[in-house]
Amino acid sequence: MRIIYVYVLVFLPALVVQAQTNIGEDSIRTVVLQEVRVSAQQKNQQQQLYQFFRSNQAATTEDVLSRLPELSLIRRGSYGMEPVIRSYNSGQVNLLLDGMRIHGACTDKMDPASIYIEPVNLSSIEVRTNGSSFLNGSSVGGSINMKLAEVACHDEPVFSGSLQTGYHTAAKAFYRSLNLNYASGKWGFKATGTYRKSQNYRDGSGKTVPFSQYEKANYSLHAKRMVGQDMYVKIDLLADDGWNIGYAALPMDVGYAKARIGAISLVKEKGRNGWGKMEAKLYANKVQHSMDDTHRPDVPMHMDMPGESVTSGMYVQTEKYIGQRQQLTFRADASVTSLHASMTMYQPGQSPMYMLTWPDNRQFQSGMAIQYILRIDSSSQLQVHGRADRSSFGLTSQMGKDQLAVFGYAGQHSSFFIPSFSVQYSRKLDQHFKASASIGVNGRTPTASELFGFYLFNQFDGYDYIGNTRLQQERGQQAELTLSWQPAKLNLQVTGYLSRIEQYIVGKYVPTLSTMTIGAKGVKMYENIPHALLAGVEGSVVYKPSSNTILMATVKYAYGKDNTGAALPLMAPLRNIGSIKQYLGKLWLQAEMETATAQNRVSLVAEERTTGAFSLYHFRLGYQTRGMGLQWQLNAGVENIFDSFYREHLDWGNIARPGRNLYLQVGIGF
Amino acid sequence: MKKYFSVLLFICLSVSFFSCTKDNLVPETVIPFQKIGEGYAAGAAVKVELYATKALFTGYNSLYLALYDSSSNQPIENAQISLMPIMDMGTMKHACPVQNPSSTATEKLFACGVVFIMPSGSMGSWSLTVNLGLNGKQGKLTLPVTITDPVQSRLRSFVSKADNAKYFVALLQPQNPKVGVNDMEIAIYKAQTMMSYPADSSLTVSLTPEMPTMGHGSPNNIDPVHTGNGHYKGKVNFTMTGLWYLNLGFKAGNVIADTANHFEVNF
Repeated sequence: MRIIYVYVLVFLPALVVQAQTNIGEDSIRTVVLQEVRVSAQQKNQQQQLYQFFRSNQAATTEDVLSRLPELSLIRRGSYGMEPVIRSYNSGQVNLLLDGMRIHGACTDKMDPASIYIEPVNLSSIEVRTNGSSFLNGSSVGGSINMKLAEVACHDEPVFSGSLQTGYHTAAKAFYRSLNLNYASGKWGFKATGTYRKSQNYRDGSGKTVPFSQYEKANYSLHAKRMVGQDMYVKIDLLADDGWNIGYAALPMDVGYAKARIGAISLVKEKGRNGWGKMEAKLYANKVQHSMDDTHRPDVPMHMDMPGESVTSGMYVQTEKYIGQRQQLTFRADASVTSLHASMTMYQPGQSPMYMLTWPDNRQFQSGMAIQYILRIDSSSQLQVHGRADRSSFGLTSQMGKDQLAVFGYAGQHSSFFIPSFSVQYSRKLDQHFKASASIGVNGRTPTASELFGFYLFNQFDGYDYIGNTRLQQERGQQAELTLSWQPAKLNLQVTGYLSRIEQYIVGKYVPTLSTMTIGAKGVKMYENIPHALLAGVEGSVVYKPSSNTILMATVKYAYGKDNTGAALPLMAPLRNIGSIKQYLGKLWLQAEMETATAQNRVSLVAEERTTGAFSLYHFRLGYQTRGMGLQWQLNAGVENIFDSFYREHLDWGNIARPGRNLYLQVGIGF
Repeated sequence: MKKYFSVLLFICLSVSFFSCTKDNLVPETVIPFQKIGEGYAAGAAVKVELYATKALFTGYNSLYLALYDSSSNQPIENAQISLMPIMDMGTMKHACPVQNPSSTATEKLFACGVVFIMPSGSMGSWSLTVNLGLNGKQGKLTLPVTITDPVQSRLRSFVSKADNAKYFVALLQPQNPKVGVNDMEIAIYKAQTMMSYPADSSLTVSLTPEMPTMGHGSPNNIDPVHTGNGHYKGKVNFTMTGLWYLNLGFKAGNVIADTANHFEVNF
């Protein structure tokens, strides 16, 4: 029986960058989780490689994301971390699933799209920080695209898959995942199921953090049918259900968080006459989220807080090669997002108090983007990116309009036109040394919360936030410089960036407004300030002294200030992750060290707390073997070996991160 | 006879035709209000019908009078009308604030208002006297009326710290509160004597809505200002459904008259 092996690559950012030898896009960092060798393309060949998971398999999507220098994670609970690029906020970055826009359903931003996705759903995660992100949408900070895994079609029937189970001691968390692939002739199917259950975790001081438990299940179905030479139709269906999710940093937990995602795509891998990959996709998703305070003691007033988001959209993307040196990519997309969230408060003996925290609203978005790459000669390349985006926001219910009339809303529609443009020049200065510089202008619309939010409590600073229907869009100017040096066995890369954002959106304290949330310190209304500046440096180095040893280190630093020179809030301090990995036959060992300096430069206006420095040490190992016709893989390790008590600066509340955690993961591939 | 027959027929037909049309030419006025009472004002030869938007209650009642000539049944659209509500408490009698209608009807109705300051019951009984003057004749009709307390009070009173006089404050709007911006209207009257309660236009009113269970207010309210006949109009904003207190503060010039009153709104 012929078995097609699934080739899975570990994520090592620099390793992926090295793999780009053709007209590459240096501004993209890709975290490859699984790479599928498409054997069907070469009919009588089969790949005999079968290696998977050469490092610790990421426990959740967020764990994977946290290893990239460009990304930071804002944590609000034990899971449900919001990935942000550099120190931009979530409204300034596009977080997409396979090019699809998806909007959380929680007004307090407890559910960024990444919590509805498991690593087993994905093939790779692409982070784009400058002009190349325009293909995915308008933004000021860039885009994070989580690409869904695909199944390969084969002439012979092939059945493969993997089963994994794992346990983490810090939270007594169980994890189970099943991945089945079946391909035969023109069809391919992939089905996955994942279940996680985690109890309250123990932090570094030995205390159990209450309300940090969660339980969730994720199912996905992917079907692919070849419909011609190099052309196929694929359908992706994904359902994710979370329940009984604690949120230590907030005064209430999550009753349920559900997502239902569906997409149908038509893909042509290669065309004729220079046409490259073409893709058309139609999608829809629905996210539902509800808060639950029934498990908390001393609740002053019981509240129901359900929210819902429905997004549907489409996009078309094509590539065209012009001669040997030029490549053009064109994309058109459109989407509609509807949001609704309300709050009902109950006081015995009275009628319920009901209000819309997200007055029913709808956003229509449509845009077109172009990417042009010119290989000037063998050592230099020029990229030009452009995008035009049009978005319009409106309220859709009379009650929503009546509520906002209290703040002077008079029926106006908010319409935004966002042009973006960027130029990048890369040059190989000598055999090992390459430099790349880009400048550009970009922009982003305000988010629905920033426009229409109605007394949204922000635990970070303890204020109620109110939307401003007269907000202007943000406009950015950005410059980025990357230097990379790749002599033998070494890959060193440093990136510096500068981003100036005009009409930067922040909340401003309004003393005349009284709070709605019991315990809030005051009310802030969103407004545009003249400008803000963000700058930073990221570096990564990968050194392979021998074929069995890899040393890797990443470092990142960000600096932000507003137009008065005051520090912006939620800026991560200097952060460094270093690791040594040694292969010994079927076994590998890895030692890791993570350090963060103290963050004392905080926003006084937001009453942000400083955070102390910390160092963490991890040790991991993995072992692979074959037996009984199956591929076995064992991953185990200790994270936070010295049980340090620490908190990340971007975490909300005074909630510490887990202490010493032993984990064990067993996977079987067939 | 034949000659006379056609003339006679013509006369009969025209008489019947005219008499029929006389009745058909007077359109039925459909009045969409509740009829409280009716009667004839002796002396003026007028039939009076009294309507209100709902059953009478303690507070400001919007009333409508329809007058008809008692012999021809034609609606009367011009008359001098003044109202005198009296509560007979046995040992004494007193009146209550009144807003007399203008002398010209609008759509055949004379709009007026009466602020009944207490309910009918063991304390006493109310009657409403309608005094009419038209075409040089005076008429009067007294109707018994029953006043009940509403579920949610729409009348407050206080003794002003500025001049020690008693004031009555009636809530007119919002009648159907909703989330968002609502019209807010009150009417203020001063108790000058037991029989005279003139409208007041001298007070400065401040409005502070509040949800007592939540402890928060709402933004961008507009304090009621006097617009005529003792009516003060402003805007009250509700950010959510539930129980709200409309806290009112009254000042006479720079002196605080009262700050202890509020109206409850629950929706």
